[in-house]
Amino acid sequence: MAKKLKEVLSDAGISMDLQSGGKAPDQLTDREIKREPHPRVKKLKDIFMDTLSSANNEFTYWYTREYMQHDCEIPVVRRAKALKSAFAHLTPTFYPGELLVMHKASYFRGSFPMPWLSEGFYMAHEDEFYQEALKRGSASVDEHSKFGSGGGNVTKSFGKVVSIAGKFGMRQEEIPALLKLAKMWYGKSVDDLGNKYEKMVPEYKTKEQIMRSIICMFDSGFTLPQGREVINYYYPLEYGFDGIIKMANEMKAKVAGKADGDGMVGMNRLYNYEAVIFMIEGMQKWINNYAKEARRLESITKDAKQKAEYKGIAERLEWIEHNPPRTFIEAFQMIETLHLGVLNEDAISGMSPGRIGQILYPYFEQDIEAGRLTEDEALELLELDRVVKTSIDCFASTGVVGGVLSGNTFNTLSVGGLDKFGQSAVNRLEYLILEAAANNAMPQSTIALLYDEKLPEDFLILAMEVIKSGAGYPAFMNTPVAQEFLMKQYGAEGMTLEDVRSWAIGGCLETSACVWKTLHLNGKEYDIPGGAGQPTSVGVHFIAMPKVLELVLFNGVDPRTKEKVYEAHNRKLETYDEVWDQFKLYWQKTCEVLAWTNNIQHDIWRKNNMAVLNSLLKPDCLDNGHLINELGYRFNGTFNVESAGTITLVNSMAALKKIVYDDKEVTLEEMKAAIVDNFGFKDAREVNSFSLADQERKDSDSGKWEKLHFKVLQAPKYGNDDKYADQILLDWENFFCEDATHYESLYGLKMYPCQISVSTHGAMGSATLATADGRLSGTTYADASMSAFPGTDRNGPYALLNSASIWDHSKSQNSQLNIKIHPTAIKGIEGSKKLLDLTRAYMRKGGFHIQYNIVDSKMLKDAQEHPENYRDLMVRVAGFTQYWVEIGKSVQDELIARTEYEGV
Amino acid sequence: MEKLLYRDSRNYVPIDVTKGIDHLTGETVMADKEAPKGYEVMPKCKNCANFKADGEQMGVCEGSMSEPKFFAYPDMVAITCDMYKEVK
Repeated sequence: MAKKLKEVLSDAGISMDLQSGGKAPDQLTDREIKREPHPRVKKLKDIFMDTLSSANNEFTYWYTREYMQHDCEIPVVRRAKALKSAFAHLTPTFYPGELLVMHKASYFRGSFPMPWLSEGFYMAHEDEFYQEALKRGSASVDEHSKFGSGGGNVTKSFGKVVSIAGKFGMRQEEIPALLKLAKMWYGKSVDDLGNKYEKMVPEYKTKEQIMRSIICMFDSGFTLPQGREVINYYYPLEYGFDGIIKMANEMKAKVAGKADGDGMVGMNRLYNYEAVIFMIEGMQKWINNYAKEARRLESITKDAKQKAEYKGIAERLEWIEHNPPRTFIEAFQMIETLHLGVLNEDAISGMSPGRIGQILYPYFEQDIEAGRLTEDEALELLELDRVVKTSIDCFASTGVVGGVLSGNTFNTLSVGGLDKFGQSAVNRLEYLILEAAANNAMPQSTIALLYDEKLPEDFLILAMEVIKSGAGYPAFMNTPVAQEFLMKQYGAEGMTLEDVRSWAIGGCLETSACVWKTLHLNGKEYDIPGGAGQPTSVGVHFIAMPKVLELVLFNGVDPRTKEKVYEAHNRKLETYDEVWDQFKLYWQKTCEVLAWTNNIQHDIWRKNNMAVLNSLLKPDCLDNGHLINELGYRFNGTFNVESAGTITLVNSMAALKKIVYDDKEVTLEEMKAAIVDNFGFKDAREVNSFSLADQERKDSDSGKWEKLHFKVLQAPKYGNDDKYADQILLDWENFFCEDATHYESLYGLKMYPCQISVSTHGAMGSATLATADGRLSGTTYADASMSAFPGTDRNGPYALLNSASIWDHSKSQNSQLNIKIHPTAIKGIEGSKKLLDLTRAYMRKGGFHIQYNIVDSKMLKDAQEHPENYRDLMVRVAGFTQYWVEIGKSVQDELIARTEYEGV
Repeated sequence: MEKLLYRDSRNYVPIDVTKGIDHLTGETVMADKEAPKGYEVMPKCKNCANFKADGEQMGVCEGSMSEPKFFAYPDMVAITCDMYKEVK
């Protein structure tokens, strides 16, 4: 049998031991903190654990049926009517024991296709629509993306269930209707219309090649047009749905026929308010249908307790259908309904509830004072919320949902931060949110702790205890760094210091613009925070930096596909600076082309598929009469340029600099030949492992590249507080953060840099040859943007923090650092304090984000071999937590391979 | 009389595409299993007077306002449809 890389290196006296700072115990160690939720929650969680992701056509059918009837209507009204009909026809479903009710679709973990965005990907591979999608590159990434084979993923068809996109199960009785509905959108979807017009960009062919080579993983205009933002629940909480309709009717009378100085879109306000009314009526009908079903169940249920609960549910729904909520549970139900409503309006990943502990606090405070609520009842509801959020699925293609998102939908909740006056915003409810997260450890909502020096010590220690449960949350985000970024980006749109303090995380770790609004409850006023910015999941997506370098080395041709991607540069690349310079030129070409083509897709989206519900919720749409598509939001400069594979690029550039240019040990041609020959190893897919250490030599390998491979593996690496490599990171960040602002969104505003990987490091690594740092073909990149490549950070965690903080993180929307720690390294309260010290040290150095996987790598290996024993094992991937069994193999391998710290 | 499957019964709530809960017993049951006698029929297009079959899994909704009439499919749940008229 061919030797694995770790064996080859071991023979040469080089250890690929991925443990740092000590040695893990020989026996498998479980996480220290283990808690249980309330019995009611446990029962519902058990249902979830045995539930398949399921889809049907109900929403799709009614949306399409209504939309097709109104082809001469004003587009925003036409869309609102279609949405109203779709919401009004959703079948209500209740599961015994629920207190927070309503579901996206009529399954526990339900979703539905939106062919008005894209209809090609769920066609059969032989279908001409699918072939077209493949040609234009939008299906290429599906070939490099895989879902985990366990959990709720329906990866294969069985019995009467058809697998769609490798994740969703649909009854075969629904398939003919799905295909008929999809074909009705052919040529009309955002995907098709966008493609029709993006082809008019002179460089369109380059974009097609970029997508086919998987330099970029996906377009957002027709996949996930919204998301990675913070929702705003304020208006329904303050005014209720009837109040919003009243407001919209009054505004209609005020603006009808008047441009009010805006000759472009001033007149549109009338139609927008009309759309708002249709949308709210749809929401009310949806709630009403649930209320009626609750009454029906109340009438047939014999169990007295359950019967009373159905009655209570019906009463709450009947109230919030029209009125602002009065109590904690009514308010919680209202925000749950709004959240699911927004997620049904569009394909969205990363619709974050924001600081719900601060939004719900007024109700919590008053109910506790009045004796209407106990802390234990609030805790139970917070635990239930985790079942609701984890059950949210987003229906999109394999490449997007699997390859990019690992099936997660990123409903991130924020705690901490500062209040309007600059003091700690932590309140008692936020302690309970952390307790609930430990009691009911489920992937969602993942939690972002908005760190500031003013936050109470016991709150931070509690956060460390939750992290030790292995849930992967809370992640720590640095408030001062975020505030500085927000002021730079949104100052020109009028953001104030007070506004900045209301910030929260949208998606996994996107710094998002929010504002305070004043809520009135029983004569008392509260300032509650909420989102006020556009999606940040938009712009130029996930550019594979190591792949761009590959194209530089091979003169614009992808050696994997043999296709020309960029114009040949024909440079000799005689110096390191020349390589860097060409890299930047190809980078800029990529950003430019993707910005233009994505702008067109989003422009089609805003013309035909604009958000109505999400818009009306956010300041200041209801006030100014403009929705998202007419810059109705308070802050609109949210489009970004996303990098991927930062550290693999840095390490590769460091190896080229050291081995080829400084020490001149080999020529660039020899290095390229070694890369093409994968340093004598098989491709990762052949080995079926995506971790570097497990790669195997080719049977025919003569050992020609052995020496060079050793050298590049030992070249300077990021993560060791070694300036040789870290300076390259600094150079990159200084270039990238400034360059990103040169691209303009369709809203005429500058873009900014975003540095998260999600799961792209797996799929993109799969399409990238070996890299000059010694990484082999098809293996994953280093995860995130500040994480070290597995096994290369050998000087301890503080050295890694020094490397990561070499640049000014406030120049970017985010950065991301993941660290894996063995449970024994942080045992007991002393361990929690050490973990807090480590975290605080990074925050004080100006790092933006840090998060931890507290897990024994042996457990992950065992889970890979025996997934049936680990249905509930959760791991932190990159900005999100996911069930191990629902993650694709490449990312699983990378998680196993990450350096495990045995001491902090 | 044709046998009634759980997934065609009003007393059943689907958990996913394969199974659900019998609201009367609280038990988890398979979607394609026969429901006990006396269970209520789920309003679905196939049980509606407005549904005109056109092939095994496709048909037309006569209640549709558009011309030509919009398609419908027999398995769609019609609990929330105002035009639903149960075939007697």
